[in-house]
Amino acid sequence: MPLLGEMKKNYRVLNQSKPRIDGVDKVTGRAHYAADLKFVDMVYGGCLRSGRSHAKVVKMDTSKAKSIPGVLAVVTADDMPKPKSCAGNAPYMYLTNEVKYAGDVVAIVCAETKPLVAEALAAIEVEYEDLPGVYTIRDAIKPGAPAVHPQYPDNVFTDSLYPIRKGDVEQGFAQADLIIEREYETQYIEHSYIEPEAVVCIQNPADGVMTVHSSSQNPFFTRRYVADVLGVGMNEVRVFQETLGGSFGGKEEGVGMVAARCAYLCRLVGRPVKMTFSREESFLESAKRHPFLLRYKAGVMKDGRIVAWEGTQIDNCGAYNNQTQFMNSRASIHSCGAYTIPNVKTDTYGVFTNNIHGGAMRGYSSPQLLWGQEQFIEEIAEELGMAPLEFRRINCLKDGTTNATGTVLDHVNIQEIMDYTTAKTDYQSKREAYKAQTSTKKRKGIGLAIAHRGCGLGAESPDASGAMAIANEDGSVLINTGLAENGQGLKTAFAQIAAEAIGVPYETIRFYGTDTQAIADSGMTVASRGTVMGAQSTRKVGFKLNEIMRANAVALGFFKDQAQVKGPEDIVLEDGFFHSVKQPETKVAFKDVCNASLWSGRQMAAYEWFMPPACIQDHHTGQGVAFPNYAYGCVVAEIEVDMETGYVDVQKVTASHDVGTAINPALVLGQIYGGILMGQGYAVTEEVEVSNGKVRNQNFENYIIPTAADMPEMDVNIFECDDDRGTFGAKSIGEPATEVVGAAIANAIYNATGKRIRENPANLERVLLGKKLR
Amino acid sequence: MQKLSYLKPESLQQALEYLNQYNAKVKPYAGGTDLMVQLREGSSRLKDVEYLMDLQDIAELRGIEVKDDCISIGAMTSHTQVNESEVLRRYVPFLSVASSTVGSTQIRNKGTVGGNICNASPAADTLSPFVSLNARLTVVSVDGAREVMVKDAMEKAGKLKLAANEMVTRIVIDRLDGYETAFIKLGRRKALAISRMNAAVAVKLEGGVIADVRIAPGCVFATPDRVECAEALVKGKAPSAALFEEAGKAVSEEMIKRTGIRWSTEYKKPVVEALVQRALCRACGLPED
Repeated sequence: MPLLGEMKKNYRVLNQSKPRIDGVDKVTGRAHYAADLKFVDMVYGGCLRSGRSHAKVVKMDTSKAKSIPGVLAVVTADDMPKPKSCAGNAPYMYLTNEVKYAGDVVAIVCAETKPLVAEALAAIEVEYEDLPGVYTIRDAIKPGAPAVHPQYPDNVFTDSLYPIRKGDVEQGFAQADLIIEREYETQYIEHSYIEPEAVVCIQNPADGVMTVHSSSQNPFFTRRYVADVLGVGMNEVRVFQETLGGSFGGKEEGVGMVAARCAYLCRLVGRPVKMTFSREESFLESAKRHPFLLRYKAGVMKDGRIVAWEGTQIDNCGAYNNQTQFMNSRASIHSCGAYTIPNVKTDTYGVFTNNIHGGAMRGYSSPQLLWGQEQFIEEIAEELGMAPLEFRRINCLKDGTTNATGTVLDHVNIQEIMDYTTAKTDYQSKREAYKAQTSTKKRKGIGLAIAHRGCGLGAESPDASGAMAIANEDGSVLINTGLAENGQGLKTAFAQIAAEAIGVPYETIRFYGTDTQAIADSGMTVASRGTVMGAQSTRKVGFKLNEIMRANAVALGFFKDQAQVKGPEDIVLEDGFFHSVKQPETKVAFKDVCNASLWSGRQMAAYEWFMPPACIQDHHTGQGVAFPNYAYGCVVAEIEVDMETGYVDVQKVTASHDVGTAINPALVLGQIYGGILMGQGYAVTEEVEVSNGKVRNQNFENYIIPTAADMPEMDVNIFECDDDRGTFGAKSIGEPATEVVGAAIANAIYNATGKRIRENPANLERVLLGKKLR
Repeated sequence: MQKLSYLKPESLQQALEYLNQYNAKVKPYAGGTDLMVQLREGSSRLKDVEYLMDLQDIAELRGIEVKDDCISIGAMTSHTQVNESEVLRRYVPFLSVASSTVGSTQIRNKGTVGGNICNASPAADTLSPFVSLNARLTVVSVDGAREVMVKDAMEKAGKLKLAANEMVTRIVIDRLDGYETAFIKLGRRKALAISRMNAAVAVKLEGGVIADVRIAPGCVFATPDRVECAEALVKGKAPSAALFEEAGKAVSEEMIKRTGIRWSTEYKKPVVEALVQRALCRACGLPED
């Protein structure tokens, strides 16, 4: 399966780096974000956070705050009819008197100005009674640990338990020549989007409709929270998604919570209300990437075959949760990596603690798992005395083999991608040479990691969507769908897909973004599903509009001079012109047919729904079909370690990904470049430092993300294939772009230093001392 | 954020009068790159402040003057100006290097050397070269002027030993003609990183022997200082990696002597040894690895 360009796909609009629809607005600063919006009579809202990890509000006095001139409202949990949100089995609280983590909100205020909001928040007097808390995975699972939620007395989030039972793991271990066990642990990290959460709410005084302008990743998801807190129908809430300054999974529940509180204040004071988070608030309340405690045990034969794999994957859910029960499905499906192993037994479950909640973050468990698994694979190979590349070749997925869920796979190109990438980087010989280094100053390292990733939602939830396409009388086309632009380039990709399917130029298509009163919910824009599965309905409606307009062209007599044209099947529409199959040189403009269609009352718009074939797994064994197909990737990282300071300099990352069809190659590159840098941060510097639930670093001066100066040289190789199960053959790339980078860096560190980092990230102290300093 | 009044004196005299009038209630504002962050955080050290005094129009605080035996740098000189100054690059290159590692381009354009010292953070990037240069502050009030060594100026982290009506106008440093210098900073990333630790050294070689040396490690003492025992150890000897390893050890011993064994010592001890050794090697043109 070839590199981009080697395979003739014969698309007219796809496979081209069309300019982003929203590109000019963004680079010129013209784009409006939710926090930029201003309305007449607009006032401001703010939140009072306890800062306590586990406590009870004993007494709260809001009288001083209320008496400040310009303060319009102070609301506590006692004032709010429904302070408990609709989200999840352990629901987040809009407001609470029982603090379960440091970001919990105990009061909200509304005032004429932002400084007055701050003054009012400072004037609220609260007396707390601190309660014993539980903070780490290890402590949470100890017998007798304090329970975070009474409905989960041992802190195990039972709804998030996903087992995999494939073959007979006991028999596999009995047969094995060698058994190896290891444990790995990952950290909390923050999405670090450039735009903190922001919402503006306005209520129509006549019909009562609450309009919410928000920085939502999923506007329909936000609508659910607003309707919930207001106790009104969802048709009375209208959410506009404003230009998003990044999300990566972080603006789901978090923005729902902000929007709900803001809408509540808006209705209460009868004026438009803006609520924006400071960076510190964003750190405190937005979900984090779940930390995982990963325990793996493998049984291998001397010839290198893995015959048994056992794993326990425990994630820290934090105080509330609405994601672990979905995320762990993916974590279980991918619990033995990109390898075919006959006997697998893994359990994946979350535990509650008095910490910030874990949530979706670019990868949805895979960066954590791969970071452990891809190091474990190398540790096994080393015990066997086998080169890790060869060991991977023996065990990696191939056509006709099965993964952890027992699905027989096809279109598997992982070995080809791995062989290409390791040859291009001279991986084998560099690795051997670096192993022999003895310098006590600086050493180089090279690391390899591979991954497979189920495309879209798979068995987690139906990957269905709807889309609308409208042709106007001037030949311009509007498309709309419930999927949302999150900065990844969805509007651009969808416009290209619509243009390809309809047969009109990309430039004639507009997609303005999501308004919940203009289109039906199409599920969330998550799981790298937008282009791959979410755009299936856009493709479908494009074909439908093509069919409708061809019928119009024939019925309206545009081909009456061509006797061979009997019906719409005899003409084609491409590049904005109709022509007959037999007489392609005689062209009829799309806009002329549109104009005639309007004035003759013919249909020029369509709405289509796409429902993929079902993915069905047995919940007790995980066996079945988990995803329609998988995307494959390989990353090689080259680094230099300062052996005297522990500083890891990531110098070059070579990333190769199978994207099926590169809808827009420039956007694919953008995803991968960003993904590499996020993966680097995950592996080397990023860690939300929590100490008994308190977050020590709440801003970017001490939460260290890589800067432009830290960016390594990047070499990206895009592979395509002819697997047609995604939209026009596309596969996921948003999450694959970042998921395996950290693991490759971790393996490179080992190559350089000879020491394994089994607790992420590999910061100065861990690399030098092999442990966290405190 | 607390509400403050804004003062913008047009002369040094007026600034000194404001200081004399309002004392601790007035806070001089140089580049604001630390001060504004502290205000936003509601720092307790600013709780009594009522006035911000913007120093940008005061000519006496500007300019770099080279004299026969010293160089005088205006307190309001930005890190960018220090980094780009031809004379500083010629006479004290490691100060220039240190300035280029402060924060980001924007921070270096706004932040000043005077502010960097007066903010009194032990992690300030320019402190160790300044201490190596025997830098002294010109401290002025309506009552007159005095000179304070930078190494003696800090009472504790975040506080200088200045009277409430005094301010720093200039920093005067030695001219290190004939010295080779080096500054090495360890941060957690390549830009926008504070020093986890750093080292500044200046070496004068005569006939293959170290005739004079100054060694100042950064972020290891409560207040910045040179390490004289390490300096004495290498003086009069020929430069070598082995000798500089010994110098590094002398620095780490001094660190432990002064600050005791702390939770971070396990990391800081080997790293400060390495940074000092490397800085000395770099200054003497020896290979660092």
